[in-house]
Amino acid sequence: MNTDQKAADPYFIDFPKRIRNIQAQMAEENINVYLGSRLRTLSWTTDAFCPWRSFIVIPPEGLPTVFTFVIDASRVADDSWLDEDHVYGFAPMGGQDQIEQIADFIMELLPGEKGRVGVESGMSNYLPEGFLTHFEYEQFTAAMPGAELVNAHTIIDRLALIKDAGTINRFAEASRIVDVGHRAVFEAISNGGYKNMTETEIAGIAALAMRRQGSVWEWSFTGGNEIASGYRTGLAGGACTPATGKKIEPGEPLMIDIHAMFKLGLGDHAHNYLIAPVTDRQRWHADNFVDIVKKTLVTYRAGITPSLLAEKMMAFAEERGFADFMVPGFEHGIGLVGDEWRIGLNDGPFAYWTNPDHVYRENELLICAMQYACPDENIGFRYENPIVIHEDHCEPLSKYPLAIEEIS
Amino acid sequence: MEEKFVYLSQAWRDEGEKRLKESLSPEKMNHATSSMTNLYKNCPDGIDRFLYFRFSNGEIAEMIVGEGEPPTKAEFRITGDYETFARITRGEIGAQKALMTLKLKLRGNMVKALRLASLADRLNKVLSTIPTQY
Repeated sequence: MNTDQKAADPYFIDFPKRIRNIQAQMAEENINVYLGSRLRTLSWTTDAFCPWRSFIVIPPEGLPTVFTFVIDASRVADDSWLDEDHVYGFAPMGGQDQIEQIADFIMELLPGEKGRVGVESGMSNYLPEGFLTHFEYEQFTAAMPGAELVNAHTIIDRLALIKDAGTINRFAEASRIVDVGHRAVFEAISNGGYKNMTETEIAGIAALAMRRQGSVWEWSFTGGNEIASGYRTGLAGGACTPATGKKIEPGEPLMIDIHAMFKLGLGDHAHNYLIAPVTDRQRWHADNFVDIVKKTLVTYRAGITPSLLAEKMMAFAEERGFADFMVPGFEHGIGLVGDEWRIGLNDGPFAYWTNPDHVYRENELLICAMQYACPDENIGFRYENPIVIHEDHCEPLSKYPLAIEEIS
Repeated sequence: MEEKFVYLSQAWRDEGEKRLKESLSPEKMNHATSSMTNLYKNCPDGIDRFLYFRFSNGEIAEMIVGEGEPPTKAEFRITGDYETFARITRGEIGAQKALMTLKLKLRGNMVKALRLASLADRLNKVLSTIPTQY
């Protein structure tokens, strides 16, 4: 791709520059070779989705090499900016298993087969995170006796925190696609269309509409598109509702939390409905929720912290009399697929959880995520939307109008 | 009585090259360009040996046998005991099974190796026709 093409492609990301930035940080931290294993690291460095156990070996200079399950290596090479000479497949064959193959590769990069190898060790609530397992750590240690394995994922975390224009544009396109999915759901459930419809059917309606627009996956590990109706919307503290075969019923709330993926950028927007007949009490809950979402969106900006924002929002909820129903968290982290956990760096009071005192900076991207749940009344709502942090405001990437409509 | 060639000797190599050139056209070799070294450990006389092939556009460009390490680094390197290679050449065990049971070790890009696997089989099949004394 030449310079003009790069300038014309709104989704262009300078991956070679990312690698050079990692290598500069490796040099500063006296790391000879970086061995990445997290899904977020693979996405951020290769521009390819790596669903099987994969690794990336980043040398002190030059191109990195990906190692993945042999059945998927050609496809990864085809999707990635890296050529096939830099994507290896591993298999249960002599010299070709992931430990020996990667250890041999790294040993050739280490001067005198000795040096410091950065690895990714830690923990996450996100199951597909991909930290090095204890077994892998032991095996690599045994296979590379001259190497010292040191935890180094902060290098990637720091570099990936502030998003470039290409990344933000990918998220914006994925969000536009999600909005199309929401319109398709609205049309399908309106005018009695919801009758006899199940949560899973709604998930599929949204998926089809989004795939027609260019989404390649309802990416969330929480079951793809999350649809909840009735009591399932109000599960105590609940913010994870894989769609079920439950039918949508009159008089119930309906929560539509749908996901699209475009060039590894992620759309993630939740919208809510009330199925008629709607009681005054249901409407009161709904208005509470819409009001606190509005207030949250006008509060997010550079300089604020998760704890400060939560304090302000919970004070508002208390004043309005619905604090009991709010889950006191208003965000989760987001990045190219695989990066769906904490905000910022691992520098908070609880290891690998969001630091409540993290100070948001311009061009950070996060999911504004809020959950309202009243289990006693079988009602709840969810809001999710990728937002870009700017100096004095935030920019919601999904433009679907904020409201809780009544469907008849 | 049929002449037999001592496995991995210069005469065996010459016969092998002759048969490969007669049997495997560039088309049959898919015009492949690659190189491969077989490293034979624990030979009967205690000396490690190698067999190095280099193909260019489907034609044999180099075929070298010798002791120790080959003079040139190949794209693929297969290491195993002399007896394992001999059994493969005699058709007693498949190369893939030997790899999957750790009797052979392959170094090189597995994805590329998969594309070349059928070519390696064709090559081994021709070499297996050489009357050989192990």
